[in-house]
Amino acid sequence: MKILIADDEAVSRHLLEKTLTRAGYEVIAVENGVLAAEQLSRPDGPRLALLDWVMPELLGPDVCRHVRQRRDQPYVYMVLLTSKESKQDVVAGLESGADDYLIKPFDPDELKARLRTGLRILQLEDKLVEAREGMRFKATHDPLTSLLNRGVIMDLISKELVRAQREKSSITVLLGDLDHFKQVNDTYGHPIGDEVLRETARRLLASVRSYDLVGRYGGEEFLMVLNSCGAINAFARAEQIREAISKLPVQTARGALPVTMSLGVLPTGESGPRSLEDILAEVDVALYAAKMAGRNCSKLADAKCSV
Amino acid sequence: MAPEDMQVVLDVPDLLARLENDRELLVELSEILKTEYPTHLRSLEQAVSGEDMKTVERTGHALKGMFAALSAARAASAASQLEQIGRKGDKLALRNALTILESEAAALLIELDRCLEAAKNEDSHR
Repeated sequence: MKILIADDEAVSRHLLEKTLTRAGYEVIAVENGVLAAEQLSRPDGPRLALLDWVMPELLGPDVCRHVRQRRDQPYVYMVLLTSKESKQDVVAGLESGADDYLIKPFDPDELKARLRTGLRILQLEDKLVEAREGMRFKATHDPLTSLLNRGVIMDLISKELVRAQREKSSITVLLGDLDHFKQVNDTYGHPIGDEVLRETARRLLASVRSYDLVGRYGGEEFLMVLNSCGAINAFARAEQIREAISKLPVQTARGALPVTMSLGVLPTGESGPRSLEDILAEVDVALYAAKMAGRNCSKLADAKCSV
Repeated sequence: MAPEDMQVVLDVPDLLARLENDRELLVELSEILKTEYPTHLRSLEQAVSGEDMKTVERTGHALKGMFAALSAARAASAASQLEQIGRKGDKLALRNALTILESEAAALLIELDRCLEAAKNEDSHR
Protein backbone atom coordinates (compact mmCIF):
# COMPACT_ATOMS: atom_id res chain seq x y z
CA MET A 1 0.00 0.00 0.00
CA LYS A 2 1.35 3.41 -1.00
CA ILE A 3 1.56 6.05 1.70
CA LEU A 4 2.52 9.69 1.41
CA ILE A 5 4.61 11.38 4.08
CA ALA A 6 4.76 15.15 3.94
CA ASP A 7 7.07 16.78 6.47
CA ASP A 8 9.54 19.61 5.97
CA GLU A 9 11.62 18.51 8.93
CA ALA A 10 14.27 15.99 7.82
CA VAL A 11 14.68 13.95 11.02
CA SER A 12 10.96 13.31 11.47
CA ARG A 13 10.54 12.57 7.77
CA HIS A 14 13.34 10.01 7.74
CA LEU A 15 12.07 8.43 10.95
CA LEU A 16 8.56 8.11 9.51
CA GLU A 17 9.90 6.76 6.25
CA LYS A 18 11.93 4.05 7.98
CA THR A 19 9.14 3.10 10.40
CA LEU A 20 6.56 2.75 7.66
CA THR A 21 8.85 1.00 5.18
CA ARG A 22 9.59 -1.55 7.90
CA ALA A 23 5.84 -1.94 8.40
CA GLY A 24 5.46 -2.89 4.73
CA TYR A 25 4.25 0.38 3.21
CA GLU A 26 5.48 1.78 -0.09
CA VAL A 27 6.53 5.22 1.08
CA ILE A 28 6.55 8.43 -0.94
CA ALA A 29 8.17 11.23 1.08
CA VAL A 30 7.90 14.92 0.21
CA GLU A 31 8.98 18.05 2.03
CA ASN A 32 6.22 20.56 1.43
CA GLY A 33 2.47 20.90 1.08
CA VAL A 34 2.41 21.70 -2.62
CA LEU A 35 4.27 18.50 -3.48
CA ALA A 36 1.92 16.61 -1.16
CA ALA A 37 -1.19 17.98 -2.89
CA GLU A 38 0.37 17.15 -6.25
CA GLN A 39 1.06 13.54 -5.25
CA LEU A 40 -2.42 13.07 -3.83
CA SER A 41 -4.04 14.46 -6.99
CA ARG A 42 -2.46 11.84 -9.25
CA PRO A 43 -4.85 9.16 -10.50
CA ASP A 44 -2.58 6.44 -9.13
CA GLY A 45 -1.49 8.51 -6.14
CA PRO A 46 -1.32 7.24 -2.55
CA ARG A 47 -4.62 6.78 -0.70
CA LEU A 48 -3.03 7.06 2.73
CA ALA A 49 -1.29 10.23 3.81
CA LEU A 50 0.56 11.52 6.85
CA LEU A 51 0.72 15.28 6.68
CA ASP A 52 2.67 17.55 8.94
CA TRP A 53 0.57 20.53 10.03
CA VAL A 54 3.16 23.27 9.57
CA MET A 55 4.83 23.04 6.17
CA PRO A 56 6.18 25.58 3.71
CA GLU A 57 4.05 26.55 0.69
CA LEU A 58 0.87 24.83 1.89
CA LEU A 59 -0.13 23.85 5.43
CA GLY A 60 -1.30 20.32 6.21
CA PRO A 61 -4.96 21.40 6.68
CA ASP A 62 -4.80 23.23 3.33
CA VAL A 63 -3.63 20.02 1.66
CA CYS A 64 -6.62 18.24 3.25
CA ARG A 65 -9.02 20.89 1.93
CA HIS A 66 -7.47 20.66 -1.54
CA VAL A 67 -7.86 16.87 -1.62
CA ARG A 68 -11.45 16.96 -0.35
CA GLN A 69 -12.47 19.38 -3.12
CA ARG A 70 -11.76 16.74 -5.76
CA ARG A 71 -14.68 14.79 -7.13
CA ASP A 72 -14.86 11.30 -8.63
CA GLN A 73 -11.52 10.20 -7.26
CA PRO A 74 -10.92 7.45 -4.71
CA TYR A 75 -11.04 8.47 -1.06
CA VAL A 76 -7.74 9.45 0.55
CA TYR A 77 -7.34 8.77 4.27
CA MET A 78 -5.34 11.63 5.75
CA VAL A 79 -3.72 11.89 9.16
CA LEU A 80 -2.38 15.21 10.38
CA LEU A 81 0.86 15.08 12.34
CA THR A 82 1.09 17.92 14.75
CA SER A 83 2.70 19.24 17.88
CA LYS A 84 -0.46 21.29 18.35
CA GLU A 85 -2.57 19.80 21.09
CA SER A 86 -5.32 22.30 21.86
CA LYS A 87 -8.94 21.32 21.25
CA GLN A 88 -9.28 24.21 18.83
CA ASP A 89 -6.38 22.94 16.75
CA VAL A 90 -7.76 19.41 16.70
CA VAL A 91 -11.18 20.68 15.62
CA ALA A 92 -9.64 22.90 12.93
CA GLY A 93 -7.56 20.00 11.64
CA LEU A 94 -10.50 17.62 11.41
CA GLU A 95 -12.74 20.32 9.91
CA SER A 96 -10.21 20.75 7.11
CA GLY A 97 -10.94 17.21 5.99
CA ALA A 98 -8.37 15.19 7.92
CA ASP A 99 -9.58 11.82 9.16
CA ASP A 100 -7.33 11.65 12.19
CA TYR A 101 -4.44 13.38 13.87
CA LEU A 102 -1.35 12.28 15.76
CA ILE A 103 0.65 14.30 18.24
CA LYS A 104 4.39 14.47 17.57
CA PRO A 105 6.66 12.82 18.52
CA PHE A 106 4.71 9.75 17.50
CA ASP A 107 4.75 6.31 19.06
CA PRO A 108 5.40 3.73 16.30
CA ASP A 109 2.81 1.25 17.55
CA GLU A 110 0.12 3.92 17.82
CA LEU A 111 1.03 5.24 14.36
CA LYS A 112 0.72 1.81 12.79
CA ALA A 113 -2.53 1.06 14.60
CA ARG A 114 -4.06 4.32 13.39
CA LEU A 115 -2.96 3.60 9.84
CA ARG A 116 -4.55 0.17 10.06
CA THR A 117 -7.78 1.98 10.93
CA GLY A 118 -7.27 4.02 7.79
CA LEU A 119 -6.74 0.88 5.74
CA ARG A 120 -10.00 -0.57 7.10
CA ILE A 121 -11.85 2.57 6.06
CA LEU A 122 -10.32 2.42 2.58
CA GLN A 123 -11.21 -1.26 2.23
CA LEU A 124 -14.76 -0.44 3.28
CA GLU A 125 -14.89 2.32 0.67
CA ASP A 126 -13.61 -0.06 -2.00
CA LYS A 127 -16.34 -2.55 -1.10
CA LEU A 128 -19.00 0.17 -1.27
CA VAL A 129 -17.76 1.36 -4.65
CA GLU A 130 -17.67 -2.22 -5.91
CA ALA A 131 -21.22 -2.81 -4.65
CA ARG A 132 -22.43 0.43 -6.26
CA GLU A 133 -20.79 -0.49 -9.55
CA GLY A 134 -22.36 -3.95 -9.30
CA MET A 135 -25.80 -2.41 -8.77
CA ARG A 136 -25.23 0.04 -11.59
CA PHE A 137 -24.32 -2.84 -13.90
CA LYS A 138 -27.40 -4.82 -12.85
CA ALA A 139 -29.61 -1.80 -13.45
CA THR A 140 -28.27 -1.22 -16.94
CA HIS A 141 -27.53 -4.70 -18.27
CA ASP A 142 -29.51 -7.77 -19.20
CA PRO A 143 -28.88 -10.44 -16.54
CA LEU A 144 -28.73 -13.36 -19.00
CA THR A 145 -26.48 -11.96 -21.72
CA SER A 146 -24.81 -9.05 -19.86
CA LEU A 147 -25.63 -6.87 -22.88
CA LEU A 148 -27.19 -3.43 -22.34
CA ASN A 149 -30.83 -3.86 -21.38
CA ARG A 150 -33.74 -2.59 -23.44
CA GLY A 151 -34.21 0.67 -21.56
CA VAL A 152 -30.55 1.60 -21.71
CA ILE A 153 -29.96 0.72 -25.37
CA MET A 154 -33.03 2.76 -26.38
CA ASP A 155 -31.89 5.67 -24.28
CA LEU A 156 -28.42 5.50 -25.82
CA ILE A 157 -29.82 5.31 -29.35
CA SER A 158 -31.79 8.50 -28.66
CA LYS A 159 -28.61 10.21 -27.52
CA GLU A 160 -26.61 8.93 -30.49
CA LEU A 161 -29.31 10.20 -32.85
CA VAL A 162 -29.10 13.68 -31.35
CA ARG A 163 -25.31 13.58 -31.49
CA ALA A 164 -25.28 12.37 -35.11
CA GLN A 165 -27.68 15.16 -36.14
CA ARG A 166 -25.60 17.75 -34.33
CA GLU A 167 -22.38 16.52 -35.92
CA LYS A 168 -24.06 15.92 -39.29
CA SER A 169 -22.86 12.33 -39.27
CA SER A 170 -24.70 9.06 -39.68
CA ILE A 171 -25.30 6.07 -37.47
CA THR A 172 -26.74 2.72 -38.38
CA VAL A 173 -29.35 0.96 -36.29
CA LEU A 174 -29.57 -2.82 -36.61
CA LEU A 175 -32.34 -5.02 -35.30
CA GLY A 176 -31.37 -8.70 -35.30
CA ASP A 177 -33.56 -11.66 -34.51
CA LEU A 178 -32.40 -15.26 -34.11
CA ASP A 179 -34.12 -17.49 -36.64
CA HIS A 180 -36.38 -20.29 -35.36
CA PHE A 181 -35.29 -19.67 -31.80
CA LYS A 182 -38.62 -20.90 -30.44
CA GLN A 183 -37.75 -24.33 -31.84
CA VAL A 184 -34.50 -24.35 -29.85
CA ASN A 185 -36.39 -23.69 -26.63
CA ASP A 186 -39.16 -26.17 -27.49
CA THR A 187 -36.78 -28.93 -28.58
CA TYR A 188 -33.88 -28.61 -26.15
CA GLY A 189 -35.38 -26.62 -23.27
CA HIS A 190 -34.84 -23.11 -21.98
CA PRO A 191 -31.40 -23.70 -20.42
CA ILE A 192 -30.06 -24.59 -23.88
CA GLY A 193 -31.89 -21.59 -25.33
CA ASP A 194 -30.14 -19.46 -22.73
CA GLU A 195 -26.78 -20.88 -23.79
CA VAL A 196 -27.55 -19.90 -27.37
CA LEU A 197 -28.53 -16.37 -26.33
CA ARG A 198 -25.36 -15.94 -24.28
CA GLU A 199 -23.15 -17.14 -27.14
CA THR A 200 -25.03 -14.92 -29.60
CA ALA A 201 -24.39 -11.93 -27.32
CA ARG A 202 -20.71 -12.81 -27.13
CA ARG A 203 -20.45 -13.08 -30.94
CA LEU A 204 -22.28 -9.79 -31.45
CA LEU A 205 -19.98 -7.96 -29.06
CA ALA A 206 -16.93 -9.51 -30.70
CA SER A 207 -18.06 -8.41 -34.15
CA VAL A 208 -18.61 -4.69 -33.40
CA ARG A 209 -16.17 -1.93 -32.53
CA SER A 210 -15.57 -0.75 -28.98
CA TYR A 211 -17.60 2.42 -29.58
CA ASP A 212 -20.61 0.61 -31.07
CA LEU A 213 -23.53 -0.43 -28.86
CA VAL A 214 -25.24 -3.79 -28.46
CA GLY A 215 -28.33 -4.41 -26.36
CA ARG A 216 -30.95 -7.08 -25.81
CA TYR A 217 -34.21 -5.68 -27.14
CA GLY A 218 -36.47 -8.58 -26.21
CA GLY A 219 -36.45 -12.42 -26.08
CA GLU A 220 -34.21 -13.27 -29.05
CA GLU A 221 -34.04 -9.75 -30.52
CA PHE A 222 -30.92 -7.63 -30.37
CA LEU A 223 -30.57 -3.94 -31.05
CA MET A 224 -27.27 -2.53 -32.24
CA VAL A 225 -25.92 0.91 -33.05
CA LEU A 226 -22.96 1.30 -35.37
CA ASN A 227 -21.56 4.75 -34.79
CA SER A 228 -20.14 6.80 -37.67
CA CYS A 229 -21.48 4.24 -40.10
CA GLY A 230 -23.39 5.62 -43.07
CA ALA A 231 -25.47 4.08 -45.82
CA ILE A 232 -22.45 3.02 -47.88
CA ASN A 233 -21.06 0.65 -45.26
CA ALA A 234 -24.21 -0.21 -43.32
CA PHE A 235 -25.28 -3.24 -45.29
CA ALA A 236 -21.78 -4.74 -45.50
CA ARG A 237 -21.32 -4.30 -41.74
CA ALA A 238 -24.69 -5.96 -41.07
CA GLU A 239 -23.70 -8.89 -43.26
CA GLN A 240 -20.40 -9.27 -41.38
CA ILE A 241 -22.33 -9.45 -38.13
CA ARG A 242 -24.82 -11.93 -39.55
CA GLU A 243 -21.94 -14.13 -40.75
CA ALA A 244 -20.26 -13.91 -37.35
CA ILE A 245 -23.43 -15.40 -35.85
CA SER A 246 -24.00 -18.15 -38.40
CA LYS A 247 -20.41 -19.12 -39.26
CA LEU A 248 -20.06 -21.75 -36.53
CA PRO A 249 -22.72 -23.73 -34.68
CA VAL A 250 -23.15 -22.90 -31.01
CA GLN A 251 -21.70 -25.53 -28.69
CA THR A 252 -24.28 -26.38 -26.04
CA ALA A 253 -24.73 -29.07 -23.42
CA ARG A 254 -26.97 -30.84 -25.92
CA GLY A 255 -24.47 -30.63 -28.76
CA ALA A 256 -23.66 -28.16 -31.52
CA LEU A 257 -26.64 -26.17 -32.75
CA PRO A 258 -26.67 -24.18 -36.01
CA VAL A 259 -27.80 -20.60 -35.41
CA THR A 260 -28.69 -17.90 -37.89
CA MET A 261 -29.89 -14.33 -37.57
CA SER A 262 -32.04 -12.04 -39.71
CA LEU A 263 -31.30 -8.33 -39.58
CA GLY A 264 -33.09 -5.10 -40.34
CA VAL A 265 -30.64 -2.34 -41.24
CA LEU A 266 -31.31 1.38 -40.93
CA PRO A 267 -28.64 3.96 -41.69
CA THR A 268 -30.02 7.24 -40.35
CA GLY A 269 -28.30 9.35 -43.00
CA GLU A 270 -28.57 13.12 -42.76
CA SER A 271 -32.30 13.19 -43.24
CA GLY A 272 -33.04 15.52 -40.36
CA PRO A 273 -34.53 14.71 -36.96
CA ARG A 274 -36.46 11.47 -36.61
CA SER A 275 -37.98 10.02 -33.49
CA LEU A 276 -36.71 6.85 -31.89
CA GLU A 277 -40.15 5.34 -32.33
CA ASP A 278 -40.07 6.00 -36.09
CA ILE A 279 -36.60 4.50 -36.39
CA LEU A 280 -37.55 1.38 -34.45
CA ALA A 281 -40.68 0.97 -36.54
CA GLU A 282 -38.69 1.30 -39.79
CA VAL A 283 -35.96 -1.11 -38.78
CA ASP A 284 -38.61 -3.56 -37.58
CA VAL A 285 -40.22 -3.47 -41.04
CA ALA A 286 -36.79 -4.21 -42.55
CA LEU A 287 -36.32 -7.12 -40.17
CA TYR A 288 -39.73 -8.45 -41.14
CA ALA A 289 -38.66 -8.19 -44.78
CA ALA A 290 -35.54 -10.24 -44.02
CA LYS A 291 -37.69 -12.92 -42.38
CA MET A 292 -40.03 -12.94 -45.36
CA ALA A 293 -37.04 -13.26 -47.69
CA GLY A 294 -36.18 -16.62 -46.16
CA ARG A 295 -34.29 -15.59 -42.99
CA ASN A 296 -30.51 -15.59 -42.40
CA CYS A 297 -30.15 -12.36 -44.40
CA SER A 298 -30.02 -8.59 -43.94
CA LYS A 299 -32.48 -6.06 -45.38
CA LEU A 300 -32.05 -2.33 -45.60
CA ALA A 301 -34.94 -0.26 -44.27
CA ASP A 302 -35.00 1.94 -47.34
CA ALA A 303 -36.82 -0.17 -49.96
CA LYS A 304 -34.83 1.44 -52.77
CA CYS A 305 -31.61 0.13 -51.23
CA SER A 306 -32.85 -3.36 -50.41
CA VAL A 307 -30.60 -6.26 -51.28
CA MET B 1 12.99 24.24 39.35
CA ALA B 2 11.46 24.64 35.89
CA PRO B 3 9.89 21.48 34.36
CA GLU B 4 12.60 21.31 31.68
CA ASP B 5 15.27 21.12 34.39
CA MET B 6 13.72 17.81 35.49
CA GLN B 7 14.09 16.38 32.00
CA VAL B 8 17.09 14.47 30.71
CA VAL B 9 19.04 15.80 27.75
CA LEU B 10 18.45 12.64 25.75
CA ASP B 11 15.93 10.02 26.83
CA VAL B 12 17.71 7.02 25.34
CA PRO B 13 15.21 4.28 26.32
CA ASP B 14 12.34 6.35 24.90
CA LEU B 15 14.29 7.09 21.72
CA LEU B 16 15.26 3.47 21.14
CA ALA B 17 11.70 2.37 21.74
CA ARG B 18 10.41 4.85 19.17
CA LEU B 19 13.15 3.72 16.74
CA GLU B 20 12.07 0.14 17.39
CA ASN B 21 15.64 -0.54 18.55
CA ASP B 22 17.04 0.18 15.12
CA ARG B 23 20.63 1.28 15.91
CA GLU B 24 21.37 1.92 12.25
CA LEU B 25 18.48 4.35 12.16
CA LEU B 26 19.86 6.06 15.24
CA VAL B 27 23.11 6.68 13.37
CA GLU B 28 21.25 7.97 10.31
CA LEU B 29 19.11 10.37 12.38
CA SER B 30 22.19 11.68 14.22
CA GLU B 31 23.85 12.39 10.90
CA ILE B 32 20.78 14.26 9.67
CA LEU B 33 20.70 16.28 12.88
CA LYS B 34 24.37 17.18 12.53
CA THR B 35 23.79 18.34 8.95
CA GLU B 36 20.53 20.17 9.54
CA TYR B 37 21.08 21.80 12.91
CA PRO B 38 23.92 24.18 11.88
CA THR B 39 21.79 25.43 8.97
CA HIS B 40 18.83 26.08 11.23
CA LEU B 41 21.08 27.70 13.83
CA ARG B 42 22.57 30.10 11.27
CA SER B 43 19.08 30.98 10.12
CA LEU B 44 18.03 31.59 13.73
CA GLU B 45 21.06 33.73 14.51
CA GLN B 46 20.37 35.90 11.48
CA ALA B 47 16.70 36.14 12.35
CA VAL B 48 17.47 37.10 15.95
CA SER B 49 19.95 39.75 14.78
CA GLY B 50 17.45 41.14 12.31
CA GLU B 51 14.52 40.66 14.70
CA ASP B 52 12.78 38.67 11.98
CA MET B 53 10.10 37.18 14.20
CA LYS B 54 8.43 35.10 11.46
CA THR B 55 11.68 33.23 10.76
CA VAL B 56 12.30 32.82 14.50
CA GLU B 57 8.87 31.25 14.87
CA ARG B 58 9.25 28.99 11.81
CA THR B 59 12.79 27.83 12.62
CA GLY B 60 11.94 27.38 16.28
CA HIS B 61 9.05 25.16 15.21
CA ALA B 62 11.23 23.08 12.88
CA LEU B 63 13.89 22.59 15.58
CA LYS B 64 11.25 21.68 18.14
CA GLY B 65 10.04 18.86 15.87
CA MET B 66 13.57 17.69 15.16
CA PHE B 67 14.60 17.55 18.82
CA ALA B 68 11.31 16.01 19.92
CA ALA B 69 11.72 13.27 17.32
CA LEU B 70 15.04 12.45 18.99
CA SER B 71 13.51 12.35 22.50
CA ALA B 72 15.55 15.42 23.42
CA ALA B 73 12.94 17.14 25.58
CA ARG B 74 15.15 19.93 26.96
CA ALA B 75 16.34 21.05 23.53
CA ALA B 76 12.79 20.69 22.17
CA SER B 77 11.52 22.85 25.00
CA ALA B 78 14.16 25.52 24.28
CA ALA B 79 13.18 25.50 20.59
CA SER B 80 9.51 25.72 21.54
CA GLN B 81 10.34 28.75 23.69
CA LEU B 82 11.86 30.48 20.65
CA GLU B 83 8.86 29.55 18.52
CA GLN B 84 6.51 31.17 21.03
CA ILE B 85 8.70 34.25 21.37
CA GLY B 86 8.64 34.58 17.58
CA ARG B 87 4.87 34.19 17.52
CA LYS B 88 4.33 36.76 20.29
CA GLY B 89 6.92 39.14 18.85
CA ASP B 90 8.69 39.37 22.20
CA LYS B 91 11.96 40.83 20.93
CA LEU B 92 13.48 41.37 24.38
CA ALA B 93 13.46 37.66 25.14
CA LEU B 94 15.12 36.63 21.88
CA ARG B 95 18.83 36.63 22.79
CA ASN B 96 18.44 34.77 26.06
CA ALA B 97 16.23 32.11 24.43
CA LEU B 98 18.76 31.61 21.65
CA THR B 99 21.58 31.16 24.17
CA ILE B 100 19.55 28.53 26.03
CA LEU B 101 18.80 26.73 22.79
CA GLU B 102 22.46 26.69 21.76
CA SER B 103 23.46 25.34 25.14
CA GLU B 104 20.79 22.60 25.12
CA ALA B 105 21.61 21.61 21.55
CA ALA B 106 25.32 21.40 22.36
CA ALA B 107 24.53 19.15 25.32
CA LEU B 108 22.34 17.01 23.11
CA LEU B 109 25.03 16.56 20.47
CA ILE B 110 27.48 15.40 23.17
CA GLU B 111 24.91 13.05 24.66
CA LEU B 112 24.02 11.68 21.25
CA ASP B 113 27.69 10.92 20.48
CA ARG B 114 27.97 9.19 23.85
CA CYS B 115 24.87 7.14 23.05
CA LEU B 116 26.22 6.16 19.63
CA GLU B 117 29.55 5.16 21.14
CA ALA B 118 27.80 3.02 23.74
CA ALA B 119 25.67 1.38 21.06
CA LYS B 120 28.80 0.66 19.01
CA ASN B 121 30.55 -0.93 22.01
CA GLU B 122 27.48 -2.96 22.81
CA ASP B 123 27.40 -4.25 19.22
CA SER B 124 31.10 -5.15 19.25
CA HIS B 125 30.63 -7.18 22.46
CA ARG B 126 27.86 -9.27 20.96
